[in-house]
Amino acid sequence: MFKKGKLLQALHVTRARLWKCKLHFPGRFAGRKGLGAGKACMPAGLRPPSLLMMADWAQSLLGIKGLLLDVSGVLYDSGGEEGGGVPIPGSIEAVKKIKASGLKLRFCTNETQATREKFVEKLQRLGFDIVVNEVTAPAPAACRILKERQLRPHLLVHDDVLPEFEGIDKSSPNCVVVGDAADNFSYKNLNDAFRVLIGLENPVLLSLGKGRYYKETDGLKLDVGVYMKALEYACDIQAEVVGKPAKMFFQSALTEMGIEPHQAIMIGDDIVHDVGGAQQCGMKALQVRTGKYSIVHPDKTKGDTKENAVRSPCLLSFSFCFGLRNNKQVLTEGCFPITADVYQWVVIIISILITIVTPGP
Amino acid sequence: MATRRALKAVLVDLSGTLHVEDTAVPGAQEALKRLRSAPVAIRFVTNTTKECKQDLLQTLKKLEFDIQEDEIFTSLTAARNLIEQKQVRPLLLVEDNALVDFAGIDTNNPNAVVIGLAPDHFNYEMMNKAFRLILYGAPLIAIHKARYYKRKDGLALGPGPFVTGLEYATDVKATVVGKPERRFFLEALRGTNCVPEEAVMIGDDCRDDVEGAQNAGMLGILVKTGKYRKADEAKINPPPYLICESFPQAVDHILQHLL
Repeated sequence: MFKKGKLLQALHVTRARLWKCKLHFPGRFAGRKGLGAGKACMPAGLRPPSLLMMADWAQSLLGIKGLLLDVSGVLYDSGGEEGGGVPIPGSIEAVKKIKASGLKLRFCTNETQATREKFVEKLQRLGFDIVVNEVTAPAPAACRILKERQLRPHLLVHDDVLPEFEGIDKSSPNCVVVGDAADNFSYKNLNDAFRVLIGLENPVLLSLGKGRYYKETDGLKLDVGVYMKALEYACDIQAEVVGKPAKMFFQSALTEMGIEPHQAIMIGDDIVHDVGGAQQCGMKALQVRTGKYSIVHPDKTKGDTKENAVRSPCLLSFSFCFGLRNNKQVLTEGCFPITADVYQWVVIIISILITIVTPGP
Repeated sequence: MATRRALKAVLVDLSGTLHVEDTAVPGAQEALKRLRSAPVAIRFVTNTTKECKQDLLQTLKKLEFDIQEDEIFTSLTAARNLIEQKQVRPLLLVEDNALVDFAGIDTNNPNAVVIGLAPDHFNYEMMNKAFRLILYGAPLIAIHKARYYKRKDGLALGPGPFVTGLEYATDVKATVVGKPERRFFLEALRGTNCVPEEAVMIGDDCRDDVEGAQNAGMLGILVKTGKYRKADEAKINPPPYLICESFPQAVDHILQHLL
């Protein structure tokens, strides 16, 4: 595909270009330690990447055919006065760049506060180039499971996602589906769901995601996982998760894209559900520092070790870049002093991919 | 395990054991009288968090139970003790009736979260408020962690599920003050002048009453009234010392075999 000399030459150009748009390369040489450290001309943490490091990345990105993007916290922050949300700077441009690059793109969301149609409409209003069949969301996946297993759900979900469950038999329920019901999470509604479950011989609880919380413009909000845990505890049962980080969910997104796990990168703001889940599925994953990452003090955002998503909780406080070697996360040294958002990751990925494909000049 | 000694104290759960809401368990009043004729101290220990002691007492008097205020030890008392000891200003998620037991506690600009049974407060907005406080460092105090309790209209969620949810959201472990905490049982025995090995606990909650008491060194008797559901006893190991149909049978056993 390319010769080593040509590649290095091309990477040199790419590096200069990234440096010029103030996108210094995340890597071990961006930090305090390593070869780049101590050079007088650059302020600490602001150094161009080594070509070696970039070559390493180029090697890892070889064969990448598609990107999966989390939506809330990566492309936009939800909530606000009108509930419309606010795009994260550069994210609209990032989606455009991905589409122009020819990479396959899929939006992989645990959003269950709206039907996919409404969700996409909202994103289009915010300026995103997105259509309904590019979105993988838990509610349609849950409907497939309900039909396959002949389950009749009692729904504890947001009013706006109810249309997704039209045509599903909900008479004399034999399972509970819990989604991000937000204001519908009243004592009474949770109690109703509890009574259905405790009355069943084989209680089945499907949870649309298992997030702890998410960020809206007016602050952090409890997510579906909290209420899933509440019902699990009340009934002594284990929920089945539909949505991230479930392996099946990522796999169905990949099937829809027509690519294999090793050909895809997931970009998200949640270390457990986006990064960990994608890695469990055999994909590569990157974390952004926008969304829920940005608001919580890093040492509060612990990984769920049960799911083996991160090796140790303290990893996160340093992590900005999960290296892509051997498909394992590699913690690169040093702190990345600026926010890594989706735009920066996309520019970095695409710049290097272009370099690989067209090793000019 | 410490050797058993002669029985000196009987701890009795209230809701679900002596009564279910405003209906007494059949024969419970007479059974309590029989128990009073024996040379044992009696304490009523309850995780009921909806009502203050006065309300509890009134309910019990209406049902013609012969019970004194100073014989009742509740998880609210235990919570108040802990709040005073830690010198925090709590956000109190308890029913309005229970607030009486927290009279005089400073709740302005809260820096701690106290969770009892508060169906009216367990809405999304209030849960978010509690969540944010805990996330930014406020300790989480649970009056107890019962999964559910029995109401006239069926089973209803207790505080446990909500505490567990907040623990999951924040990665913080709650400090539990009520049953089944060992410390709660020991505090309840204070003033009876006896050790756990000289006490027996009667209750309808296999984990909170029986397992908790047995962990503290007491005997545990499970009654099949209140929230009891088939095969509950299989949930704990070691199993209950004894399983009885209801409170009167438990009293009969004590009078015949433990004295």
